[in-house]
Parts: sequence; structure tokens; C-alpha cells
Amino acid sequence: MWLIPLTHTHAATPSEIIASAIVEQSTSKQRDLVISLKGNPAPEVVILLEKWKAGEIFLYQDPEGNQIPVYLTGKASGDGTLATSRVSTGAALISPDGNPVRLDPSAEEFVDTSSGLRRAMKEVSDLAAFANPDFKKRLRAIEDSAIGQNPEKIPSLETLRSTEKNPLVLRAIDQAIAIINLKSNDPKLRTEACKKLGELNSIAAMDPLKTLAAQSAKSSDRITEKAALGAMNRIESHISTINIFGTLFRGLSLGSVLLVVAIGLAITFGLMGIINMAHGEFIAIGAYTTYLMQHFLGAGLDLSPFGKSLSIPGLHLASASNSYFVFALPASFLVAALFGILLEWSVIRFLYRRPLESLLATWGISMVLQQLLRLIFGSNNVQVTSPNWLSGNWTINDVLFGWNRVFVIAFAAIIILMTWLVLNKTSLGLMIRAAMQNRNMAACMGIRTEHVNTMTFAFGCGLAGLAGAFLSQIGNVGPSLGQNYIVDAFMTVVVGGVGNLMGTVISALGIGLADQSLQQILRNPVIGKIVVLACIILFLQWRPAGLFVARSRSLD
Amino acid sequence: MNASPLSARIHNGILAISAFIILVVFPTLNAMGIIEDFTLNLWGKYLCYGILAVSIDLLWGYTGLLCLGQALFFSLGGYMMGMHLMLMIGKLGQYKSALPDFMVFLGHSTLPTFWVPFQSFPFAFSMIFLIPGLMALVFGYLAFRSRIKGVYFSILTQALTYGASLMFFRNDMLMGGNNGFTDFRTLLGANLRIASTQRLLYISTAILLIIVVMLCKWLTRSRFGLVQRAIRDSENRVLFSGYSTANFKLFIFVVSAVIAALAGALYVPQVGIINPSEMTPEKSLEAVVWVALGGRGSLVGPVLGAISVNALKSWATREYPDLWLLFLGTSFVLVVMFMPTGMIGLPSQLQALAKRMKRKSTEP
Repeated sequence: MWLIPLTHTHAATPSEIIASAIVEQSTSKQRDLVISLKGNPAPEVVILLEKWKAGEIFLYQDPEGNQIPVYLTGKASGDGTLATSRVSTGAALISPDGNPVRLDPSAEEFVDTSSGLRRAMKEVSDLAAFANPDFKKRLRAIEDSAIGQNPEKIPSLETLRSTEKNPLVLRAIDQAIAIINLKSNDPKLRTEACKKLGELNSIAAMDPLKTLAAQSAKSSDRITEKAALGAMNRIESHISTINIFGTLFRGLSLGSVLLVVAIGLAITFGLMGIINMAHGEFIAIGAYTTYLMQHFLGAGLDLSPFGKSLSIPGLHLASASNSYFVFALPASFLVAALFGILLEWSVIRFLYRRPLESLLATWGISMVLQQLLRLIFGSNNVQVTSPNWLSGNWTINDVLFGWNRVFVIAFAAIIILMTWLVLNKTSLGLMIRAAMQNRNMAACMGIRTEHVNTMTFAFGCGLAGLAGAFLSQIGNVGPSLGQNYIVDAFMTVVVGGVGNLMGTVISALGIGLADQSLQQILRNPVIGKIVVLACIILFLQWRPAGLFVARSRSLD
Repeated sequence: MNASPLSARIHNGILAISAFIILVVFPTLNAMGIIEDFTLNLWGKYLCYGILAVSIDLLWGYTGLLCLGQALFFSLGGYMMGMHLMLMIGKLGQYKSALPDFMVFLGHSTLPTFWVPFQSFPFAFSMIFLIPGLMALVFGYLAFRSRIKGVYFSILTQALTYGASLMFFRNDMLMGGNNGFTDFRTLLGANLRIASTQRLLYISTAILLIIVVMLCKWLTRSRFGLVQRAIRDSENRVLFSGYSTANFKLFIFVVSAVIAALAGALYVPQVGIINPSEMTPEKSLEAVVWVALGGRGSLVGPVLGAISVNALKSWATREYPDLWLLFLGTSFVLVVMFMPTGMIGLPSQLQALAKRMKRKSTEP
């Protein structure tokens, strides 16, 4: 037999073992060969066994009478034949005359499997998945094993439990065994399984438990029904706890998004009295800067602004896709701040003390900026890829914490801290506050209020740019990106009370939490949002100047 | 702000002539076939926008309240009219059902209760006044009572409009959702798809515009108008003089909401569609642009602004679609910064400038 020299020259690979099992005549030896693959983590084991089971393995008889197990690959040609590959190596099978061998699956007889062999295969493929070195995949395989509640899977789960170290996987094994046991004929096993699932707070067990409760109610098996219902109650209360925490977390992260978006506005509107309707476009500028940065550090970018072509060379940094964001943050702040300086110098400085006019003029600016963005970058959304370290999540006790949401909360906290430091601990901040409290007096004391105005406005716009860099990570980047946030941002500042950072923080978090809780309670995002808007209008009845009022004796 | 370079008599003469042209000459030329049906229909749309612009001017130019919710009242009026028109389609719709098509599509078999009375035109007509009027009354009461003014009023009305548009975008609001109402056929028995009905609609719009302008003229020239402008210029002094400014503002707010709603109600049968994108805050701001460009604080300015901006838009979005928004935005910024009286005030502004230049050159 051709098999023998192979095993002599080197240790047989899993594929070779399967190949030899296929040509083996004795069923018991076949089974032993398959069983010997138990616990082997090589992926081809499962693939080849699946093929075998599905009848996709054929025997090719070469001119010397050797039987070579093959599987078919590629597409069928006109005469219905397909290319073949050796099971043992995966290489294409070449006949002695040098041509690749093609087989017609309908004309050939596939290699059959007996039921005992199939059971052995199943055992192997189950364990192969359980033995996956990646614990997430292992976890998934174990969770899947409970589907169907097949008691045949229990032995392999038990085997795994004796060697497994990871507590998450151990918990999943317990859960899977208990779910399978729910179907057991032994009432004691069933009630124990119910109890175990209740203790584990197993959400996955909800449906099987429901079925069990219904069945045992039908067969008036009071004990099992009680146990199942008890476990369900326990799991349900666990689910509602998860929902509360999930809502809190989502509310907090939405509040942080609002805060990031509104903080720049709180500066320009709150401190300077300028209603910057173009705030949204500064956010978009920040987002597009991030986009440009991603391509500048990466492979470069071709743009066609105003019908002309412009290409931006890339630096082709290897780790660009993960590190660009670090560079994009300061860049988006600076670019937006530069545009802010330009806008302040050309338009805003004519409009101090005329807030309504500032609203209108900046709206005109927003129209122009939006159209410019559209002409430069096209009206479709552009693709900004998140760095790896932003796209993952933690699951703590079944509550999902997305890293990007955790990041936005941290980001908001840092920005607030930064803004507070700038306003309270730097000389620029001192001048800003002086100019805002009493412009004339500040000017008399030698503060160049015009200069301060420019810097303040630029600072507010820079914060909008930062918000844009951030939003590019959690949503689409398009020319009208800012429009989606502008109403919310204004509401946040108005509710918080003008001229007070703390108020903006509290109102942003409050609105975020209220929005998410209402969504959860009303089960409808749009109605939730409308209710929040209505609440804000009613809130302003009670406190027309927002949460924190800057007290003043002057009458406007 | 009311300064006019022309003497009042010439001013009124020009007004009368333009009214005559709009009301009589255009429809006659159309009936004779000199002006195309399409053009007349377009002008009907402009005139509706003109009425909307007057309603904004009444609030902003004369009372100092920049309301970003006028598009909401405009489309509410349009929706009320649209509900009646939808029911008048009868069984001629796509699904051959007595229900409006979108309801059949959503799987409804009976008409929702709040839709039933809209089968009668008088009811729908009164709702055009009532719904936007009540909405303005409630919102205005809340806002003015707590002395919300200036930009806060603008931001709140913007939020109101935003909230309402979110509401109307929903399908289960039963107001057509995204697509709104369209495919209208008859109004008061007249076929909306023939030129003569459209001409009648145009004439009614022109009449309404003239009535609204005259009404506002009378209102702003009365003692009431004086208080109104005093509120604009210094609300606190008016308050300290013993006037209840909140009530004055509330009244003018409701009046202007109803005017906007009427414009919307006439707009819908002429344009043939109403959907929630008409009630976004951007639409309100667009209308504010017409008023600012035309000249606020005068009643003709806004109409002029609405017609000229929209006529220019119809042309420019066809010829220079990319540059139109750049042009509109820039000119708007310039007007807001340097021409507070808009186009209508340009002659007097130029006169003043010329006078100053002359003085400079004569005085050493």
C-alpha cells in the first residue's frame, strides 16, 4: 500500500490520517483513525470530515491500482467534470500523463460512511471546535453546542470541563450542560438544571426554559414547572438589571456626544453671545480633516474639487490605520480653529451685540461651507475607518460596553477638563472671562478685547473640530454631518444656561440619559426624542434662563 | 427702517400697478396663451412664498421676533388642505380604495377618526386657521409668559419645528410619513390638473397676497403697530409703560401663524405635494433669507425678496447648480452685515452714502 511509506517518512498530518482512514477497509480501524484526531486543533480536520460526511469525497483509481481519495474543487466545466485535489495534501491530482484529473460527481460513487463512523466524526468535530485556542471561538462553539439540546454532546463538554481553565468558558460549559439537561428524562436532572440556570442568570436559557415550563404544565409536572418558572423569574430580573445598566451606559455616552458637540457652542454662544449656526459645519470640517489625515498618513488621496483633480501624496506609514487618529485630533482642532479665526475676522466681528444677525449671517456661512465641502469632497459620505483599538467591546456581566462608547465618555471628560483648565488656569482664560463679564472695563484695563474675541471664537470652533474628529469614528462623514447635531447642541446649551460650562455638562448628560431612558420605556426612538424636546420647552417655563443663571443687575 | 426714497404717492402707485399686473395682467395673458401654464403655476408658488415672507416680516421686521417655525405653520396649513384633497381623490387612487393610498399601503381598512371630518371642505378650511393658530397660541403663551425672547425664541421655535418634522416623518402618525400627500385630483369639484383651475388658484393666491399686505399695512400703521415696533426697539420700556408685551406678541404670533398657514394651504394644490421636508428649520431659515434680502420692516420688501430669490433660484439651480448655494449664502451674509434694510432700502442707503461722499468732498 502506498500509505505505508508515507507514515514511515514523517509523522502523519491530520489530512493524511483522514486520507488513510478513507481507504481503510475495516470500519473499526476507520473509527480508530478518526478518533485519533480527537482534540486536534487543525482546521482541516473538521473541513475534511464534513466533506466526507456530506459525500463529497471520491476515490480515484490510478493506473497502478492505487486508490487515491480526492475532493472536487472549482467550477464544473461543460461536460460536468470538476478539478480534483488530494485529501492527503490538498494538492491538485495529476494523472501520469501530466494532465490534471477531472471527475464528474454524478458519474462517480462517493465514499460512504457508517453510522458508527459518523458518530465518531461528530465527536471529533465537536471537540475540535471546543479545543480552539482562541477562547472567544471556543466560547461560541460551546454556546452553539446547547442548540438542539442534544444529550450526545454532554460527554465532550464534560471532557472539556476537566481541562478548561478560563472561568468564562467554564461558565458557558455549565450553562450548555444545564440547557441540554433540561430535556433530560430524569426529573431530578431537570430541576437541578433549572436551578443551575437560574444561578447562572443564563439569558440563552430563556427560550428552552419557556418550552420546558409549557411542556411540564401540560403534563402536570408541578415540580419541574415550578423550578423552570423560578429560574425564569431570576433570569428576567437579571435581564432588567442589564437593561437598566445598558440604558445608563448608552445615555451617558449619548450625553457625552452631546457634550462634545455642544461644548464649542457653549463657548461661542455662552461666552460671546454669537449664535454660530455654522457650528455644525465646523464639526464637519473636523471630521473631514480626520478623513484627510487618514489618507495622508496612509496611501494618499485623489480629490476633484471644482472639477479639477488634486492628489494628495500619502506617507504610506505601515501603522497608519491605527495611529492616524492620534494625529487627526490636534489637526482637526487646529484646522477648525484656523477657519474660526478667518470667520471671526471677516464676518463675526461686525456682529457683536447683534445676536439675531449673527444667527442669520452664520447660517449663510454654513450654507456656503456645506456647499464647498460638497464641491471638494463630493456629496456622498466618505469612509473613515476606526482604528482597531476603538472597535471592540467589553462584556461585563452580560452588559455590553463598546470601546468607542467608553472612549467618547473619556474623551468628553478630557475635553471638559481641558476647557476648564484653559478658562480658569491660563492668562488667555482670564482675559476671556474678563472680556465677557464687562467688555468696556476689560478694555480699559488694557486687554485687547478684539484679540480676545478672535481667540475665544477660534477656541470654540477648534472644539467643534475635535467633536468632528470624534463623530467621524461613530457615524457617517458627509457634508451635512453637522446639521444632524445642531438643534441638539443648541438645546443643550440653552438648557444648561448660557455662560456656564457646568450647566452644559449637566444638561448634556441629563438630555442623553433622558433620551435613552425614554427610548427604552417608550420603545420608540423618535417619540422619545419628541418627548425630550417637549420636556425641554416645559423646563424652560420653569427656568427660562437654563439650569445655571449668570446673575446680573443689568437689564438687556 | 420704514424709510422710502420715493414719495408715498409714487410708492403706492407702483404698488397698485404691481398688484394689477399680478392679479389681472398675468392671468389674462395666460388665458390668451401668451404666458405658459407652467410659468403661471411657478408664479403662483412664488406668491405663496411671498405671503409666507410677509408673515415672517410681521414677526421679525416689525416685532423683532425671529421665528424659525414659520415653515411649520406653512406646512401645517398645507397638511390640513392636503388631508381634504387626499379624501377627494376617492376611488381614483392606485389601490382603487376610498382610503388614501398610503393608508391602504400601511394595511388600514377604515379611515382614522381624525380624518373623517376632513371630507367636508368647510371643516378642512376652518382647520387651516384653527390648528396652526392653536399651536401658535399654546407655544406662544408658554414662550412669552416665561419671557423667552431674542435668540432663545429662535432656537426654541427651531426645536419645535424640528420635533414636528420628526413626528410627521413617522408612518404611524397617519399623515403619509416620508412621502406626505400627493396625487391630488379635485378641489371643490374642480379638476386640479387643468389650466383653468390652476389659473383660479393663482388668482386666489394673488388676492390673498394683496389682502394680507393691506391688512398688515393697516395693522402696522395703527396704534397697535406702534406698540409692536416699540416692542421691537425696546421691550422693557414698553413693559414699564404699562403694556402687556406678552399679549401683544402672542396676538401677532398667532396672526402670522395663520397667515403662513393660509399660504401653505394655497401652496399645496398648486404644487401638488406636501411632505415633512417642507417643515424643517432650514425651510424657515430659507424664508427668512427672502425677507432679509428683500428688506424687512417694509411689507413690499419681503414679497419682492421671495419672488426674486425664488425666480433666481429656479434659473440658477438649472444653469449653475453647484454655485447657486455659494452665491445665495454669500449674498445673504453680505446683506445681513451691510444692508439691514435689504433691496428695498438700497436706494435710500445709496442716497445717504452719496450725500456723505459729497459732504466729504466739499468740506476740506
